[in-house]
Order: sequence, then structure tokens, then C-alpha cells
Amino acid sequence: MSAFPAPPLVDIRDLSVSFPQHDGVVQAVRGVTLHVDTGESIGIVGESGSGKSVSCMAVLRLLRSPPARIEATALSLGGVDMISADNRQIADTRGRVAAMIFQDPMTAFDPVFTIGQQIVETIRVHRAVSKAEARSEAQTLLTRVEIRNPASILDSFPHQLSGGMLQRAMIAMALSCRPQILFADEPTTALDVTVQAQILQLIKQLQAEFGMGLIMVTHDLGVVAETVDRVVVMYGGKVMEQAPVQDIFDSPAHPYTRALLASMPGQGGGRQRLIEIPGASPNPANPPTGCPFHPRCTLADAQCAAAMPAMSQTGPSRQAACWKLA
Amino acid sequence: MIPFILRRLFSVSVTFVIVSILIFTMMHSIPGGPFDAGDMPLPPEVRARLNERYGLDQSLVTQYINYMGGVLRFDFGIPFQSPGETVLELLGRAWVPSLVLGGLGVLIGTPLGILLGIAAALRRNTWIDYLASAVATLGLTIPVFVTSMIMILVFAVWLNWVPASGWGAPDKWILPIAAYATIPMATYARYTRSAMLDTLNKPFVTVLRAKGLSETRIIYQHVLRNSAIPMVTVFLPMFIGTATGSIFVEAIFRVPGLGAYFVSSIRTRDYPLEMALMLMLTVMFCLAYLISDILYAWLNPRIRAGGRKG
Amino acid sequence: MTAALELRGLCKSYPLRDPNGWLPRYRELRVVRDVDLTVESNSIVGLVGESGSGKTTTGMMALRLTEPTAGRILVGGQDITRMEAAALKPFRAKMQVVFQDSYSALDPMFTLAQIVAEPLHVHGRGSAREQTETALDWLERVGLHRSYGSRYPHELSGGQRQRVAIARALVLRPDVLIADEPTSALDVSVKAQIINLLQDLQAEMGLSILFISHDLSVVRSLTDKVAVMFNGRIVEEAATEDIFIRPQHPYTRSLLDAIPVLNPRDRRDRVFRSREDLEADIPRLSAVATGLPPAPTPRLIPHGPGHRYEALVQ
Repeated sequence: MSAFPAPPLVDIRDLSVSFPQHDGVVQAVRGVTLHVDTGESIGIVGESGSGKSVSCMAVLRLLRSPPARIEATALSLGGVDMISADNRQIADTRGRVAAMIFQDPMTAFDPVFTIGQQIVETIRVHRAVSKAEARSEAQTLLTRVEIRNPASILDSFPHQLSGGMLQRAMIAMALSCRPQILFADEPTTALDVTVQAQILQLIKQLQAEFGMGLIMVTHDLGVVAETVDRVVVMYGGKVMEQAPVQDIFDSPAHPYTRALLASMPGQGGGRQRLIEIPGASPNPANPPTGCPFHPRCTLADAQCAAAMPAMSQTGPSRQAACWKLA
Repeated sequence: MIPFILRRLFSVSVTFVIVSILIFTMMHSIPGGPFDAGDMPLPPEVRARLNERYGLDQSLVTQYINYMGGVLRFDFGIPFQSPGETVLELLGRAWVPSLVLGGLGVLIGTPLGILLGIAAALRRNTWIDYLASAVATLGLTIPVFVTSMIMILVFAVWLNWVPASGWGAPDKWILPIAAYATIPMATYARYTRSAMLDTLNKPFVTVLRAKGLSETRIIYQHVLRNSAIPMVTVFLPMFIGTATGSIFVEAIFRVPGLGAYFVSSIRTRDYPLEMALMLMLTVMFCLAYLISDILYAWLNPRIRAGGRKG
Repeated sequence: MTAALELRGLCKSYPLRDPNGWLPRYRELRVVRDVDLTVESNSIVGLVGESGSGKTTTGMMALRLTEPTAGRILVGGQDITRMEAAALKPFRAKMQVVFQDSYSALDPMFTLAQIVAEPLHVHGRGSAREQTETALDWLERVGLHRSYGSRYPHELSGGQRQRVAIARALVLRPDVLIADEPTSALDVSVKAQIINLLQDLQAEMGLSILFISHDLSVVRSLTDKVAVMFNGRIVEEAATEDIFIRPQHPYTRSLLDAIPVLNPRDRRDRVFRSREDLEADIPRLSAVATGLPPAPTPRLIPHGPGHRYEALVQ
């Protein structure tokens, strides 16, 4: 039995997500394959429209379907096949196996219930404990996310708290059922710079303490540099490159990753022109043929426009999809 | 909360005084009076005596002060068109059918409308949604006297299930109440649908799903509650319609309610009754809005629980 | 040489109504307090701070889009603080603005040519034909083809819309451009394009830009001088590199410390300090800096050429 390796915590193979519109089909995700092992943290980096958020929402089955059309050869979370699962199994998996935190903490809580009521509700949906037990657990969780006055925060309504405080409470709520994996969708984008750094550090610490997997979805390479072990770079609904985080920053293989790193502002001292990527992100309703990056790529030729290259191994634990790999 | 209510009550009384002055002057500025020539002209001395008896010969200011003095003692005077009773007695008698008709209409129409709205929101872009939208649009655009006529034609004339008009026995209530109920039903179907869709599209609903809550629980525990907040604000003002909105329904079904007096009191210059009806409406409007504001504040933690803590 | 834009002791406060209580009672909410800031000609000045620091209100006051409670605004040396609309109009042409949300900043019913030509029309520059021609020239100058003139805002990407907003702001050839978070809503790969465009146009036109942003990395690449705002006050001001290398105020330090690392190799555990801690630090600092006992009012004290930071001084 144990001859087989443990199945990955998150197993996505050849995932496609499309949204039919009145004037065509928006192809948000086009054949994404990725996996996360127990306790591993990965960052999915991409710009708006790259398909990074949609991929995560699809695994948790959080996309209304219809209109969303989801296809995959494998889509599983903690061993649960999320494609064939019925509504009850899906609901049972969410929160317990996989939890998610979102971009804007100000709109993530139900405004008519207190923070305490909402955490208690989450605990009691998945576990048979009394309200009093759940509340004392919620209070402990708030302490874990470094909230100094947990009792008073439990009795607060969302509108009474700051964005940073709410994001901490959100993390506490996500951890309340000890998930094996945490999806964090741009968890610091809506927050102030100093609060952002605190929340990232907190997520990193708790991920290690709880031994859970982490998928950090972000457009910010700085966030990735701060938090994760492995990086998946997405563009135009496809995975361009994936590699351990240090390799991405030291020796990016894909031209898009290279361009993205080069365009980061704030490198080196003094006022200076930045290295820009010409053009604009592809239109998901009408993506370019071949490699989605070819219209903006300095190395592109006819082959790039004609066909999408397959993922190829560029190192012991890294792959990239490009015809021009050295 | 209490200072808020008291402040509002104070502004209600100011409104009341301003409205009473406006109505009083407007009412008297219409040419003619209650004892003027009609089919049977009164001899001038009789008319003068009547005017004197009812104080109509005094200045408008004196008349107003006298009237309001009476109002403070709940003395609204004697209706000219029915001198055998006081205005209060007349209102008490005629209001019962109006209240039954309007009240039952609202109480039946509202839940039906809410259910229809919920069904439409949850089954968006299916036949239920289209049906609900059609009902709502028709209910709001077709005047209630047309709906009433159609109902009489179908249920009283063709099917002969219920009597066409009258008020005496409960079986005569069915058609007018049903006709009246279409208004709150249509209003609520529309309101509920849009409030529900609005809430369902909020990011926190996605968070609730991500927490592992069942769809049923999300709808009943969270979405309905959030959608209810904007909905309470329309509920009470709708009750005002029980006094005025049913004029057509009462006329068509020959219900002996208040509706007819709104028209007749103005036509016959029945000052005491006209004044009493208008003041009653004013008070009802003010109170309805006051109560909905309180309810809204109470349901909405943003107002109830106050500002920032930490 | 007179500065392009000078703010002298600028303040803004709003009356805040106390919701409880019998009679209405107001207290003062002080959003901007005593801000002194100079934007020298032909330079880019960064105004940095977190939400609620008062940086946007300061920008709006400089444009006379929000009336200051106290203080003076000088454009090219002339005081515009109390100017009436007619007298102000020529100064409006000298100061333009670009906002963060390019979508709501462009009228959806206008073509791009109309949008860019409108300021020319308002200020009566040239014939209608010339106005359109100038607008199309400007579209080209910000990197859009002339054929875009007949398109509508919704047909463009966020980066393209921001280019149009910049063209509209610069078509009157203003002296001062106030840019309020113009790159914050843009994708990473487009952000660099817009920053470069601003740099190029600034150099070509000798423009002065007040660049309001929370993004310190962008500010470092773009500006000559930085002012840091905290709780409505400027707490530190210096040449950009000076502030990044030698920050003096505790708030500036905490802001710089929070910037994400550029390489995972530099990951570190940070020690965070609360706002209360930061504010409590100010008196202690002043004692060190001046050797005097703490005084009740904070003031900006000099620290080398062009560098000032806030501390309590007697």
C-alpha cells in the first residue's frame, strides 16, 4: 500500500475554465497543471486576466457553473475529486480541507453578524462542538493571529474594524478548522504597506506552525520573494514557468519571467527609466495563437506564433514552456 | 437611540403643524363654501346663521386656532355631510372596512411578493424568474381598477365563484382583497429580487461558500437577512396605502370604506372631515417613516453598533 | 527661480458631528495639518503615505478642488488661495491632474479625441479643427495611434486609458501635474510603461510633478525628492536617495522596512511597531536630536542639506 507515494494535496491537471458570453467565449484558464504537496507553499504570479484567481476558484468550485465551464483530467483537493463530488461533499471539503482568504477584507465578512458569530459558525459547520466551546476556540485563534484584545474583537461588527484587523480575523477564521491547505488570493493588495508586511509575515509563520500547504495568488513578485517556496508564473491563462523561488529570481528561464523581474521598480538607487514590457496583456476573449506572450516577446518568431510550446524540464525541479529556452 | 427618536418626534410635530396650516389655508382658499348655492339655494339669513354657528364667519387665523385647540382635545368637529355623528365616529365606522381590505391585502400580498422575489433571484434566468418579473411588471403598470375589472369578469361573472361586489359577508371580501394585494405583491416581488441579487453578488457570499456552508444556510442565515434591511424601508409606508390606495378598489367593489369620503369631503367642502382625513394621513406618513427608520437602524449594525473600535 | 508649486502651512479640517447627544455637537477632524511643501520647477516630488495620511487631500487642495481651512497655495510664485473663479481660470490651465481610476475619470460618452480636446475648448485655445489636430498629436505622443481618436474609453485597456488621461492633462502644457496614484490600478508589466512615459514627458516639457503614491518602489525610481506624510503631517522630507538610505523619522523607517524584498535571499523577520509606539517615539527622538527637554509641538528640524524630519523642539 505504501509503495505508492502520497497523492499531492492539490492536484490540478489540464484545467480549462471558460465563460460563454453573448459574443464569444472568454477562455480564462487554458490547460493549467499544478500540484502542491503537504506543507508546501507555492506562489501563483500573474497579471489581471492571467487566470491565476480563476484557477483557484475552480478547484474550490467557487465559480457559478453555469456560466463557468470547467474541464480537467484531474481536479482534487486532499484526495477529494472536486469534479465528481456532490454539493454536500464540496461544502464539506471547503473550510475543512481547504480554506481561502480574499483580497478585500472589508467586504469579506457578512456586515450584520459579529466577527465572533462568523468564526463560531465556521467551526460549528464542520465540527460538533457547543457554541461556548467554539467561542473560546475562536478567542484562542484571534490570539494566534496576534490580536491583542480578542474578546472585544469577537463582539465587534466588521465595519468597526480596520482592514488589517479584519484580514487577521479572516485568517483566524480560515484556520479555525485546521485546513490542510490555505488559498490566499491577493491577501495584502487592499492593505497599507506596513500592514501588508505584517500580514505576510503572519501567514508565513502560521503556515509553518500549522504545517499546511499554501497557495499565494499575487501579481506582486515582492510578495512571492517574501513568502513562498515555489513559484508558478501564469500568463494568458497558461503556466509559463515554474521553479523554486530562489531559481526564479536568480535565473529566470522564461522570457516573460525575465521581463517581469526586470520591470520591477525600486531596483538600484536613483531616478531612472524602467525596463518596460511593450504592449498589453492578451484579451482572454481573443487570445493570440501559439504562445500567449509572443506578441510582446523580444525573442519571438514564426514558430512562437504558430504553436504553444510544451512544458519542458529546465532543471531538476523546474519547468518552462518556451521555444527559445537556452 | 432615544435622543434620535425624540429628535425625530419633535420634527414630526413640526411637520404636523406646518402641514395643518398648509391644508387649512388651501382648503379655505378654494372659492365657495359648504353652504353655498347648489341645487337648493339657502336663504341668505339661514346661510349666515349656519356660517356663524360653525364659526365660518370668523377670520381664518381664529378659525385655525379654534380648530387646532379642538384637535388637542381630540375634538375634530361634526362632519357637514353627516351631522348625526362626530368626525371621529365617522372615521371609526368607515375605517374598519378600509383597514380590513388594505391590511389583509398588504399582509397577503407582501409574503407572496417576497416569495416570488426570492424564487426569481435563486432561479435567475429560468422560467420562474421570467414569470415573477412578468407578474411584477404587470402588477405595477396595470392600474388597480383594470385588475379589479378583470378579476370581477373572470371570478364573479364567468366562473361565478364569488360575489362581484358588496362588503357584508367574508365571501364578498375575497375579490377586493385579492385585487388590492396585487400592489404590494408586485412591489415586493421586484424589491426582493433586486435586493437578493444585490446581496448574492457581494464578496462575503463567496467567503461563506469557501467556509463550507451549505447553499440553504447561506440563503436563510445570511442573504435574506442582508436583503431584509433595504426591504423594511418600503414595508410600513405601504400601509399608508390602506387609506388612500384603495379608493379605486373600494369604489369598484362598493366597499363602504374611507376612500369615498376623501372625494366627497373635498367636493362638498366638508371642512372638518377633510381636515381630519388629511391630518390623519400626515401623522400616518410621519409615523410610518419614523418606525421604518428605527427598524432600519436596529437591523443594521452599522447604525446600531456605532463606529470604530480598533 | 520661483518654485512651480508652493504649499505654505496648509491645513484642512472637517467638522465631525457627534451622533449621540441631544443637541448637535461638532468636533474638528484635522485631516491635513500645517503642510509646507515645495515642488521646484522641472522636478518630480513624491508625496508618500498610507491611507488616511492626508496625501490626497493635500493634492486636492493644491488644485483648489478642496478649499483649505488655513494656509496658502502659490503657483509660480502667485498666491491662488483666495482667487475667484475668473481669476483662477488661467491658473487652472497651469495645473492639471491624473487620477488612479482612469475608467471613471474619462467620460464614457466622449471619443478619445473629444476627451483630449476638451481642455483646449474650455480654455479657448485655437479653432475646433486645431483643437482636434492637437488632441490627435497628443494621443500619438503618449503612445497611442491617431486612429484611436475616434474610439471610446471602454474600448481601451487600463494602461491605454491612463495614457489618454495623461494626454488630456498635458494638452494645455501645464507647469504642474498632480498625479494621484496613477499607476496603482495598473498591471505590473504596464506600470513601468506609464512611469517611463511620465519621466519622458517631464524631461521634454520641463514639467513639475507632484506624485502622490503609497508605492515606495515606484517613488524611488521616479522622483527627485520625497515628503512622507503621517497623520496629516509631513514628518520627513529629503532628496529621494537620501530618504531611502538615511531615514530619520521612525515612521519613515517603518515604512521603508515594510517594502517587500526584491530577492528571496534577503528575507528577514521584521519587528513591527504600532502607530501608538511610533507616535510615542517622537518626543524621545527630539531629546536626542536637540539636547533639549521635549516640547509640546512637533516641528520639522533640518538634517543635512534639503533633509528635514519632524521632532519635538523647544
